[in-house]
Amino acid sequence: MTATELANPAPDPGESRTSTAVEVSDLTKVYPHGPKAVDSVTFEVKEGEIFGLLGPNGAGKTTTIKMITTLTQPTSGSIRVFGVDAARWPQKVRQMLGFVPQAISVDGDLTGYENLLIFAKLFFVDREERNSRIRTALELFGLEDRADDLVKHYSGGMMRRLEIAQALVNRPKLLFLDEPSIGLDPYSRKQVIEHIRQLNREFGTTILLTTHDMAEADELCDRLAIMNLGKIAVSGAPRDLKRSVGGDVLTVAVSGQVPETLPGELGSVASAEKGTVKILTVDGEKAIPRITDFFEQNGVTVESISLSRPTLEDVFMKYTKASLQQEGSFRDARSARRSIARHGR
Amino acid sequence: MSGIERSVSSAFTIAEMEARKIRHDSTELWMRTVQPALWLLIFGEVFNSIRNLAPGGFSYMQYIAPGVLAQSVLFVAIFYGINIVWERDVGLLTKLLSTPSPRTAVVVGKALAAGVRGIFMGIMLFALALVIGVNLRFDPLDVAGVFLVVVLFAMCFSCLSMTLASFLKTRDRMMGIGQVITMPLFFASSAIYPISIMPDWLQVISKYNPLTYVVDAIRSMLLTGDYSGVPIDILVLLGTTAFFVLCASTMLKRLVE
Repeated sequence: MTATELANPAPDPGESRTSTAVEVSDLTKVYPHGPKAVDSVTFEVKEGEIFGLLGPNGAGKTTTIKMITTLTQPTSGSIRVFGVDAARWPQKVRQMLGFVPQAISVDGDLTGYENLLIFAKLFFVDREERNSRIRTALELFGLEDRADDLVKHYSGGMMRRLEIAQALVNRPKLLFLDEPSIGLDPYSRKQVIEHIRQLNREFGTTILLTTHDMAEADELCDRLAIMNLGKIAVSGAPRDLKRSVGGDVLTVAVSGQVPETLPGELGSVASAEKGTVKILTVDGEKAIPRITDFFEQNGVTVESISLSRPTLEDVFMKYTKASLQQEGSFRDARSARRSIARHGR
Repeated sequence: MSGIERSVSSAFTIAEMEARKIRHDSTELWMRTVQPALWLLIFGEVFNSIRNLAPGGFSYMQYIAPGVLAQSVLFVAIFYGINIVWERDVGLLTKLLSTPSPRTAVVVGKALAAGVRGIFMGIMLFALALVIGVNLRFDPLDVAGVFLVVVLFAMCFSCLSMTLASFLKTRDRMMGIGQVITMPLFFASSAIYPISIMPDWLQVISKYNPLTYVVDAIRSMLLTGDYSGVPIDILVLLGTTAFFVLCASTMLKRLVE
């Protein structure tokens, strides 16, 4: 297996106490007449974290999620959700899950309130609690004014919010979001992300999401795994992953004689020419004041410093390289847009 | 809640979903009443004036009313799979199947939803019969019995439709297969003429046609008042429904895999 679990630099002392939300081991799915969609994948999602599953189209993310949500059966391997074997107790597992598929899955022919009501009933939410939870969810997600309108008259962003509001009514322990912000405008996207955070923070909902938006993954995920060709190429915290593809680069514009070498703890000089020094360092932000001080002490005036750090996109490109197909993500965006259009007939 | 209670609750919730949708917009069902109206008003009227095919001294309009009711429910049910394909395309089915409800409960719920539509068609046909003066036995118990048969029948054929949808997977193909199935079923039943006037080979086929039993049960209750065949009719219908529920429950997952 090519998976490289990066060592956590500062192990959380409470870690031994946190339980595992999802434990996937050696999971494989082979579709008839096809290659291995998922090829002996092993990973775990800890309770209370936001975990991202990234990867190019056809990497096996959706298939993996379908297997965990018991929508399709694995060819081999095992899945435990909060300790419950998904193959043996699919209904028990589904009771703990919320699932927001990539295509907008609210029912356009029902009102917002009815959508929440029907799915609350299907998740056996207590009759006494049902209504107050629905009202709270609608209010919190800014949908109370439109609660009695048919959902087909909602905007795409509102439909997405309604889907996530569902999780607030059913209170799943684990929420799956497949491309939650695809096809949304920046404002709606921001709202959706904020709501995901809110669920995680206030209700301790463990969240497993897939996305193509690297900035979003970086911002949202505590840990993530990048899948490629049915395998997990790499996994870890975004910070550590970014560090693994190279350190920060500081570009310093100076006037005066440029020192050829730096004290080791500040970093190393990558290039120095015509008043511009490029410095490779581990933690760029912390290094800035120290480098400024060092230069000033040595009679060099610092005019400006700019910091560039590797992004999650660099990590993504490194581990998925050739298999990333531009048209694929275009197709996804188009299908999501279509699904919004279909609901808004 | 026990497992069975949960299943029953899920199934009824899914049916409730359908009832709420019909309440918001019943245009489709209103349009679907045009066809049975034409059968009764035009076909019934015209054939009545040629020669009365109906046995037992009933008018031809009276005779075909139960057949037309069964046919309109058959149409609603056999095309129900199109809804399922549509729900699959928009992701609703995935969401429904990711609820804790057992697959069978989802299928039965959807079948009951088709039954809700069938009841709508039934009410429409009764109203139509009253308006144009087709004399039927409007005894409350008989009417209740007819609705029971209508619901069972809609469940039976919507489950067949869902099973087919699991294999065909597109709306176009479902339209096609629906056309292929409905007419032969209709013509090989006692819906618009008695079985006794069919050629021998068709009489044999009609014995294996669930629609024959449905029409017979409805006709007994609405027209003749002779219940001797009804237990067999219901038994055949129950058996067929159970079989198709089973088929649909095992096959439905193909749509989301």
